[in-house]
Amino acid sequence: MNKMDKTVAAAADWQRNYDKMIGNDKVIKNRSGIEVQPLYWPQDDADGSYTEKLGFPGSDPMTRGIYPTMHRGRTWSQRQLIGLGRPADFNARIKSILKSGASALSMIPCNSVYRGIDCDEVEPEILGTCGTILNTVEDMDISLKDIPIDEISIGLNDPNPFTMLAQMLIVAENRGIPWDMITGTSNQSDYISHFVANHMFYRLSLPGAHRVQMDTITYLAEHVPNWNALSIVGQHMQQAGATPAQAMGLTLSTAIQYAHDCKARGMDPDKFLERFTFFFDISISFFEEVAKFRAGRRIWNNLVTERFGVTNPRAKRFKFHAQTSGFDLTRQQPLNNIARVTAQAMAGIFGGLQSMHTDGYDEVLSTPSEDSAKIAISTQNILKHEAHLCDVIDPLGGSYYVEALTDAMEEEILKVIGQIDDQGGMYKAVENGFVQEMIGASALEYQKQIDNNEQTIVGVNAYQEEEDASARPVLKRPPQANMEAQVERLKQIKAARDSAVLAHGLQGLRTAAQSDNINVFGAQLDAARAGATLGEIVTVLREELGFGQPLVVA
Amino acid sequence: MDDILQKRGLAERLLAGETTALARAISITEGESPAVSRLLKAIQPHLGRAVVVGFTGPPGAGKSTLVNAFISEMRRRGKTVAVAAVDPSSPITGGAVLGDRIRMAEHTMDEGVYIRSLASRGHLGGLSASAARVADLMDAAGFDVVVLETVGAGQSEVEMAEMADVRIVISAPGLGDDVQAIKAGILEIADILVVNKSDLPLARRTTRQLEAMLALRAPSDWKVPVLSTNAVNRSGLPELADAIEHRAALRETKGARDAMSGRTRRLLAQTVAKYVEGRVLHDQSPTSEAVVKALQKADIDLQSATIKILNLLQESLINE
Amino acid sequence: MTDVITTPARVLVTKIGLDGHDRGSRIIAAYLRDAGMEVIYTNPWQKIEAVVALALEEDVDVIGISSLATDHLLVPKLMAALIAADLGHIRVVVGGIVPDEDEADLLSAGVSEVFHPGAVRYDIVSSVEKLAAEATNARPLD
Repeated sequence: MNKMDKTVAAAADWQRNYDKMIGNDKVIKNRSGIEVQPLYWPQDDADGSYTEKLGFPGSDPMTRGIYPTMHRGRTWSQRQLIGLGRPADFNARIKSILKSGASALSMIPCNSVYRGIDCDEVEPEILGTCGTILNTVEDMDISLKDIPIDEISIGLNDPNPFTMLAQMLIVAENRGIPWDMITGTSNQSDYISHFVANHMFYRLSLPGAHRVQMDTITYLAEHVPNWNALSIVGQHMQQAGATPAQAMGLTLSTAIQYAHDCKARGMDPDKFLERFTFFFDISISFFEEVAKFRAGRRIWNNLVTERFGVTNPRAKRFKFHAQTSGFDLTRQQPLNNIARVTAQAMAGIFGGLQSMHTDGYDEVLSTPSEDSAKIAISTQNILKHEAHLCDVIDPLGGSYYVEALTDAMEEEILKVIGQIDDQGGMYKAVENGFVQEMIGASALEYQKQIDNNEQTIVGVNAYQEEEDASARPVLKRPPQANMEAQVERLKQIKAARDSAVLAHGLQGLRTAAQSDNINVFGAQLDAARAGATLGEIVTVLREELGFGQPLVVA
Repeated sequence: MDDILQKRGLAERLLAGETTALARAISITEGESPAVSRLLKAIQPHLGRAVVVGFTGPPGAGKSTLVNAFISEMRRRGKTVAVAAVDPSSPITGGAVLGDRIRMAEHTMDEGVYIRSLASRGHLGGLSASAARVADLMDAAGFDVVVLETVGAGQSEVEMAEMADVRIVISAPGLGDDVQAIKAGILEIADILVVNKSDLPLARRTTRQLEAMLALRAPSDWKVPVLSTNAVNRSGLPELADAIEHRAALRETKGARDAMSGRTRRLLAQTVAKYVEGRVLHDQSPTSEAVVKALQKADIDLQSATIKILNLLQESLINE
Repeated sequence: MTDVITTPARVLVTKIGLDGHDRGSRIIAAYLRDAGMEVIYTNPWQKIEAVVALALEEDVDVIGISSLATDHLLVPKLMAALIAADLGHIRVVVGGIVPDEDEADLLSAGVSEVFHPGAVRYDIVSSVEKLAAEATNARPLD
């Protein structure tokens, strides 16, 4: 079959799969009356490069998308981060966001929860300002009151050892919801990314976190089969200063590391890779981001085949959630950030994401206000419905620039993966500080460009204006009284527990951590059922498995 | 008059073990001044109690983590520890980022542990002059153990380690060419060799290589042990602490004063050598030129040239 | 032989509270080093008593607190602790995300300057240099 026939055959394949998946595919005409097709591809492919490097959506090498239908069939999940103060406040915010059109949840806990400390052990003035206090099963229950958790996909920003997930599973249990109805993702399951960047999420030592992660993946595969146990995070590293190519390369290297770890536990790549998802940053370097995602898709497809012998097509899919970059937003002239988020979101859409969070324009100053959170969702809806960005799959495909850039990004990304391979894998590379050095150097380099005005930041080093400080959005802090009430409630809950049952539960957790063949996550569930709080669970695990001190390289 | 009273106040407070005084004293003994001389004189009678331990080794060997574990072990034995952690200053800007104590964060609130981050700076007397003073101040402040920690990358860092009573050279497997990564000069000064990261697969090979190198040495009255440690899980630390105490005790039997005067003599030798080096390099007199030319043309040998230059130097010093 | 040494300023760069982002503090550490200062750099989540112990042991001139979220609300406690430990001569600066309405509170608690996102390198460095000199002059005599 000559190369042109190959393309014709592949196109026919794609068309078949597309038709099967799309259901009711309405004809789309633009304002000028021109019918817009779902996909465009070259009419000739003399050198076969189209088939080799791009292919059709949903087929090798996946450059143009992981599904035949992509956003024309099902647009991305609007997964906005939510978290503020008390569980009851969070519950109210969820309901409001779901009403404005968000289709999925992403829960953000308070920084104290990230650090693994109960609210009664933290200075009250810093409680609840960035997320919800979730110390107990009751907190989770109140947060999710009247929310159909068996119908909505839930993203838990819940680092190792995944106490929020344990709490949520027990809430489901108490509500009579079978665990196979629970869908969602452990968004912050990538402990390596926390060790290296965004240390706040890093609670247990590296080997301790590894142990808990593997136990949790195993437990979930068996008991919560529709939960994505692993989300590999590039966002932290890019926010810490990694270039887009570095962030993608480092993330893929982390995925390789985890895949090796799972394989070492006897798991089957064709099965577990299906549950690998990714979480990326979207900077405002528009075309670079589009190319980054397209290259990432292609590399992942080739990588899992080459390194892990995967044949299951679903295990080759590079599924990712992305968040617009907070680092690109400015404190000066904050309304400009709406334009920035729009550009970033567009890059993510053209990059083919499956799920997105758009930042509020006041991100630099605080967690988003209700208004700015609504604008962030509306931005996505406007791009979808008014700008019609979803009518065509991979619309930038075939652009001379975008294809050349995709190839060039692929080269850079592969270089980084090679460097990490040389270090002996991502775990070793972060243990010895190699990755931290790389990221730090890039952060400094970018800062230099801003300092020298080589990179213009509107309102900051150019187009500055005198600003009325009082017009700046105000940091919203939960009322002190609310936080005090939350602390009081925790004390009451603690006092009302059966101390024998609690001690037994915590001892079980300790024993599990000390042994090699008791599943730590299962033991954590038992401890939580016995009334153990977040702080108590994390303390026991820190004692047994080591306190997480990230390697900061000065 | 007030000045003298104030400075005596500082010495007294330091000798009484006051942390602020020690911290200030370290800062001011950076330079030379009558006040500094008075301070150093005041502490003289109180020196010689502490065991000064030098830790050096290439980057990546896990020095700071090992020192951290060593501190814990000594505290377990009821000893107080002071640490001087030295990092290089930028030769261009003179600044430095000092991050060694990140690895020792668990001891910040322990009253029995004092940690000081130092930049190598550009010392006329070399790094060792300043390090010797810092060690003395810590000794006078009453600490049982003084740790000097530095990267064994340059000559001055090696000199600094030489200031110690017990000199530990740390390596780790997989650092480039294994033992070749340890410069020959550093290996020679070691009283104790440590192979850290003992959990790594190549650790035993590194240990064997070091033992083989040591076996080639001429025998002396101290047999250098090669110890295996894992600074993260703390294995090998009691053995390291024992070896250090043993070595220190051996030096003790010759008298604490001897150990110290040995240190002082070493310091003096290094400072003299640096001074002479500077003079010889910058001497543009015709007489010294003649010596250099003669050596170049092999009219005289190196030994003779050295003696000739030293004689010239002696003459010019007399005339100055 | 008399050494003529201009002693470099010593600056402690650290974080208190809960946040763990250190992109900014790493860049500041590099700025200060390139300006000839010595930076004692720590890991995040330092307790206030630890910051005081560090400042004392290291005999620093300036403390730079990198703050995100609401961690800056703990700074007045730090200022009080420094005074109680006789370290009132040390100058403290705060950088990061600090709402305007809190800046005045920090300044009246004794913080010398608050740097917001977009602060220019030259301004930060020259400010810290000036403050280090002030701290030296404000030192109680030994």
